[in-house]
Amino acid sequence: MANLSVKLCGVTLKNPVIAASGTYGFGREFQELYDIGQIGGVSTKGMTLEPRLGNPVPRIAESRGVILNAVGLQNPGVEHFIECDLEWLKSTGTAVIANVAGKTLEDYEKICARLDGLVDMIELNMSCPNVKSGGMAFGIKPQSVEEVTRVAKSGAKNTPLIVKLSPNVESIAINAKAAENGGADCISLINTLTGMAIDIERRRPIIANNTGGVSGAGVKPVAVRMTYEASQAVDIPVIGMGGITCAEDAIEFLMAGATAVQVGTANFTDPYAMPKIIKGLNEWCDKHGVLNVADLTGTLQLNGK
Amino acid sequence: MKDYIATVVKNEKIAENVYAVTFDLGEPAKVRCGQFGNISVGGTHLLRRPIAICKVEDSEVTFCYQIKGEGTQKLKTMGAGTKLNVLMPLGNGFYVEETEKKVALVGGGVGVFPLISVLREYGETKEISAYIGYRNQGAVCGVEEFKKAHKFVGVTDDGSFGEKMNAVQAFAADLAKGNRPDVVLACGPTPMLRALIALVEKENLPCYVSLEERMGCGIGACLVCVCDMTDGKKARVCKDGPVFNAKEVRL
Repeated sequence: MANLSVKLCGVTLKNPVIAASGTYGFGREFQELYDIGQIGGVSTKGMTLEPRLGNPVPRIAESRGVILNAVGLQNPGVEHFIECDLEWLKSTGTAVIANVAGKTLEDYEKICARLDGLVDMIELNMSCPNVKSGGMAFGIKPQSVEEVTRVAKSGAKNTPLIVKLSPNVESIAINAKAAENGGADCISLINTLTGMAIDIERRRPIIANNTGGVSGAGVKPVAVRMTYEASQAVDIPVIGMGGITCAEDAIEFLMAGATAVQVGTANFTDPYAMPKIIKGLNEWCDKHGVLNVADLTGTLQLNGK
Repeated sequence: MKDYIATVVKNEKIAENVYAVTFDLGEPAKVRCGQFGNISVGGTHLLRRPIAICKVEDSEVTFCYQIKGEGTQKLKTMGAGTKLNVLMPLGNGFYVEETEKKVALVGGGVGVFPLISVLREYGETKEISAYIGYRNQGAVCGVEEFKKAHKFVGVTDDGSFGEKMNAVQAFAADLAKGNRPDVVLACGPTPMLRALIALVEKENLPCYVSLEERMGCGIGACLVCVCDMTDGKKARVCKDGPVFNAKEVRL
């Protein structure tokens, strides 16, 4: 039995496997399948100050090896989460990461302040590609990444702040650095890549929103590369994600520089994906004589060096 | 709900572009009529295919599916002995109250299959009339099952099988003759369901409709497959449905 626990900004996770926001709700549905207390952490469905109805349907499409989604931040609002889900989610024993989004700078400060001290960590979604205002706009330019982070951190005074980075940018390293400069305690990446899938019979995009965020196994090489580049650029810990389907995928991200990983789309393909990845991590570590999974972080050696 | 490793027993064409696959789940499954399964076809298809459960006999469960895209194309090729993951049963399903004795089933297209499951569950205890619409003779399927109903009216868009009309028109015609059910259960294309909902509202008949939507997780977590409710809220087709009270859903 390898030691799978990792420390992330002072928070100890049982293992480095976290449910990615938007694929796991607030955990209740997966609790019907297995004890979610065994998962390192749960990043909640992206929340806003007020409830949101999200985009029209269809909200999802498939392309070989990937999916596209445009849910558009449908959520019951942060107060509903605090009243109805927070205590329950904590009681499962998993680390609670509140994923939050806003329309304005003020929204980010307010929602972070509201959750400050209530959750283990807060993850800023400033790169949702599927909402018209806020969201994506904040996450593209390094100046605004830094600004939003700074404002959010002024709300999340006592709670580690994770900034989730968009891959749809000029330089992931520069944006990672911008988040760090803004006061982020951690960064996570990648959010989805903006894409389109077309129904050729109707000559229209399949998704009602026309474009959607691409995720799933096919995006993994891009995500691993960006995780590497971002982790080289900053001194704060990195959470890697993008297409992780099995333990070996997770290990790639750890080696590329991630301290923990998130699993999203794989939860749709196999609802037991995360318990399987955790089991696989343990087996891999045992087989390779790795005593602490944390020792894998950043152990990548580039060719020719 | 369980993710079964299901073994294909048979997988055959039952109508133009429509196949029926029977799996052995390895153990008996408790399923309510109108529930569905989320079938993994594997490979590069990351999403499962949500398909209505048509029939359950001990550990064997049958799904009928229309060939729509690459996933169902692939499912079609899976012969006896192939093992697939099937997460089921999912969703709420149809429920007929004790006091509701006469049941009308109104279905069209692939929507006929969940209605077969209703017939199998309530066929002996309720007086069931089935009004089923097909595109044409080639699309006709499930007739042997529907013939076991108290009454079966099969119609087609082009009149090549039964009369030339749609399922809602067939139901309305019978209603006009005074054959009034206690409850209407329906599944089919959205325009059909809209027409039916308008009719049952006018006639003040209780009605439940089963909806179809592109799904992500299939268990209620991802909020991909939502529908609009009359109270302005959204509901999850996979978890809160797929069966909704016609009064509460806005199509």
